[in-house]
Amino acid sequence: MRRGALLIGMRRGALNLGAIGALSFLVLPFAFFAWATPWGRLHAVAGDFDAVRVSVVYTLAALALIVIGGTPLAYWMARREFRGKTVCEGLVLLPLLTPPLAMGLLLALLYGPHSMVGATAARLGLELTNTPTAFVLAQVYAAAPYYVIAARAAFESVDPELEQIALTLGKTPWQVFRLVTAPLARLGLAVGLAMAWVRALGEFGIVLVIAYFPQGIPVKLWVNLQDLGLDAIYPLLWIFFLVALPLPLLLGIVSRSYVMRTETV
Amino acid sequence: MQIDYLIEAPVRLTARLRVEGFTVLLGASGAGKTTLLKALAGLLPATGTPYAQLAPQERPIGYLPQGCALFPHLSVWRNVAFGLRGRRRARRARALELLERVALGALADRAPQTLSGGQMQRVALARALVRNPALLLLDEPTNALDRATRAHVIGELRALIDQFGIPALVATHDTYLAALADSVAVLADGRVAQQGPPDEVFDRPATRAIAQLIGFENVVRADLVERAARLPESLKSPLDAGAAGRELGIAIRAHDLQLMRNGAAIEGAIALSATIKETRREGLATRIFLDGPMALEALSPSPCGDRGWQIGERVRVAVAPDRMRLVAWDG
Repeated sequence: MRRGALLIGMRRGALNLGAIGALSFLVLPFAFFAWATPWGRLHAVAGDFDAVRVSVVYTLAALALIVIGGTPLAYWMARREFRGKTVCEGLVLLPLLTPPLAMGLLLALLYGPHSMVGATAARLGLELTNTPTAFVLAQVYAAAPYYVIAARAAFESVDPELEQIALTLGKTPWQVFRLVTAPLARLGLAVGLAMAWVRALGEFGIVLVIAYFPQGIPVKLWVNLQDLGLDAIYPLLWIFFLVALPLPLLLGIVSRSYVMRTETV
Repeated sequence: MQIDYLIEAPVRLTARLRVEGFTVLLGASGAGKTTLLKALAGLLPATGTPYAQLAPQERPIGYLPQGCALFPHLSVWRNVAFGLRGRRRARRARALELLERVALGALADRAPQTLSGGQMQRVALARALVRNPALLLLDEPTNALDRATRAHVIGELRALIDQFGIPALVATHDTYLAALADSVAVLADGRVAQQGPPDEVFDRPATRAIAQLIGFENVVRADLVERAARLPESLKSPLDAGAAGRELGIAIRAHDLQLMRNGAAIEGAIALSATIKETRREGLATRIFLDGPMALEALSPSPCGDRGWQIGERVRVAVAPDRMRLVAWDG
């Protein structure tokens, strides 16, 4: 009897120890970074704040495009049954499963000045490499799959019967989406948005290939490291954390507190 | 209101029925009750009259699905006001007025998840009535209720619907609910096979499927050998019993079969010999399964009627002619 209790206790202790160990392992780089930061001589270098502005403004633009294009796609995949749906699901995952550098090369081949698409766009005044448009394009490819996958799961979690009832109560399909589907899927949508934000903001590989300029935070960090050494990355890396984390946190808080506030027209 | 609908999928249905007062659409599971209701609400494609050419949001129909489907992110009053347009104040006033009528005014600001099953149903009813529909559709309103609360909730629901004066079509497999209706339409074999007042439908099922649905445990195949000059009243079923070439069945409720030990006889009854195959206690009664010229099911009251029936025992089975019903074998 006592031996059994001892075994259970040991097992529980081992589990706790394992969990704490794994958690520590994950947090360790962040803790070390905080400890290693030369707080006394911390100062931004030239171009750091431009990089912050570039990252924030264009990531917001990319996020808007992802929401506008990704939401109907996610809803379509959640609600429609059709032959070849599995193939569609695979296609959404494709940019996510492709290594960023390879994805960047694919985009360079398609949108670069030597391709038909790139050349045509350039003739119309829209350069698709090393421009803000190229920067946003790279971010959209990097982050859209994360949003679409999360949004699709969120829409699937909404009972279709609630949408049907809303239709019988005189609402148009768009009103049903706005008043029933989106509010009920809000948690999943917020998670998707947060993931897309972090992913787009931190994108390095794709951006490096087709949008080295304008330089956002990730490329500028790389440049600082190459040109000025390790000391030059501390301030921008701190700024990166400060910029990247508030939106996901805010989305999490807002979506959880957004209960029974939806107006009905 | 006359309904004439043709539905192709998910089940093929031809529905011709009249909704008057509290009309019950009775059918077995999978018969297509929900399909018909959803088609009427515009949620499934169908052709016919009325409203088939209108989008769901344009139909003057109130729909109460199984399980109520209240919006979990909206308070009770916002659920009721969902179908209204206009200023918040006016919508709230109208919602509160309806909630008062279903005796739930005090719960207007509660979340729907905090309500009981009966309360949810009344909120869903108020929500369905908010746009003054011309027809109310209710899908299995008694499904989630236990036996004790069922009678109470049905009584309340019925009284409320009568009070609002809107014709209601109520889909159910619950014969208890059907018995309380103004009219019963039975959905079987992909069509409305019979419609009439409950006493008529329950006493004179037109087909084998209907007889089985409303509790005739025994339906045996019969051949029309000769048409008697004086057919017993009970055998004058809604169908043309004497129609040549029509395949017929005789329906008998289990409790109308009488069992006797061999040799005994009942005057005027039709009797045959059978062997007891299986017995099963059912509360105060015993269900007896018989093997003989045909498989039969009898219900013997017990314990007083439990006369120690033994499996394998030969018995006489008798039924009074007025307890038999003539039905069409196929639709």
